[in-house]
Amino acid sequence: MNTNTFIAGRGLLYWFDARAKLLTVLLFSVMVFFPSQVVMLAILMALIFIVAWRAVTFKQALKPLRTLLFILVVMALFIPLNRRDGVALLVIKSYVIITKEGLNQFLTLALRLLIVTYLCTLYIWTTPMADINLSFRWYGLSYKVALTITLAFRFIPFIGETFTMIRDSHSLRSAHGESEGEKFHIKDLVPTVTSALVFALKTIPHLATTLEHRGFGSGLKRSDYKVLEAKGGLFIHFLLSAIILLTTFVLLNSI
Amino acid sequence: MNEKTKSKSPALSIALMSILTAVVVVFTIFPRIPTPIHGYINLSDVIITFSAFLFGPWVAAVAGGLGTGIADIIGGFPQWAVFSFLIHGLQGLLIALIARAGLKKGVPGDAKIYMQILGGVVGMVVMTGGYYLVGGFLYGFKPALVEIPLNLLQSGVGVVLGIVVSKGVLKAYPPVRSLAL
Repeated sequence: MNTNTFIAGRGLLYWFDARAKLLTVLLFSVMVFFPSQVVMLAILMALIFIVAWRAVTFKQALKPLRTLLFILVVMALFIPLNRRDGVALLVIKSYVIITKEGLNQFLTLALRLLIVTYLCTLYIWTTPMADINLSFRWYGLSYKVALTITLAFRFIPFIGETFTMIRDSHSLRSAHGESEGEKFHIKDLVPTVTSALVFALKTIPHLATTLEHRGFGSGLKRSDYKVLEAKGGLFIHFLLSAIILLTTFVLLNSI
Repeated sequence: MNEKTKSKSPALSIALMSILTAVVVVFTIFPRIPTPIHGYINLSDVIITFSAFLFGPWVAAVAGGLGTGIADIIGGFPQWAVFSFLIHGLQGLLIALIARAGLKKGVPGDAKIYMQILGGVVGMVVMTGGYYLVGGFLYGFKPALVEIPLNLLQSGVGVVLGIVVSKGVLKAYPPVRSLAL
């Protein structure tokens, strides 16, 4: 089981410090919910897509769009129910299907969703998980929570592999005969989940003992093995963050 | 590790939360049960309910919140990570608090299971309502209605299996009681 979301590459997004980038993503996401014109949101989305395309491949840049396709279709189908008032754009047998206001509302919501999705996805694609964890630490996340996250990432592949083995064993015992791919057999659900949980729970005392041997909980100063380094100085990165946010704010309010 | 010091060990609480967080991630991403409307439900709620019943409010809140948040990041839905952290964290916290109220002295034996079910139902409401509110904010309240049945099904399955699995684990691995904080 692969827990790595980082995609190796070059460019501004990779150079940009993880802390400044996190702040930019958060404020940017909030900013798109301010009242703004659809055209401006569309321009912004197009710019973000180009940045994503430049950072990764075109095919990879399309992936977030694919994950949202279902909900975008649902949103489009709900247009006639959302807004019936205003200028009619499509009328079938005296029934108003699409109004200008309804279309506008759909586009605003869809573009906001796309922008927020692309921003968050770009952040995790261009920032190693260790740097994301360290960024949260820099913003005040406690050592214990950061350690919990780190240890969880260490154990996810292990528990994932164990779960797969237990599930496959149960499938073989059941001997269904025909290949049903990765699908889960309902009748195997409880025994599989129970077995996997017992296996995972048995590792807890060992991990706790390891942490105690490492000196965890002794009250001594903790060590950090890695620190974030901003190329060119952290001030430059936060300045760039401020410029991006200010430009976006001006762009969104220019009409 | 010394049995007497286990309950007070910060190392044990970190180990417990880390492993349960990892379990929540795995059970959110891996086992996908197909539904009649061509969707899938995951088993994250089973582990959250299980953690709430056996390990209490804080472990359930941290494991549920962090686990589902990390699963969203790994699974390609990072825009949901913060919301999942808050919704499932609150879900685990409330299930455990209500279920624990049934364990107090003076509460009749039958009431224990009723309090667990009540906790589970509150958890279902928190999870379904939370995602509906966030979905409504992100893509409109009417389209967000589509997700309600699936979320109710997922959290309902989570409560039922959570109770069954808790009993199964207690039978299969009795030392699990000593891990409770």
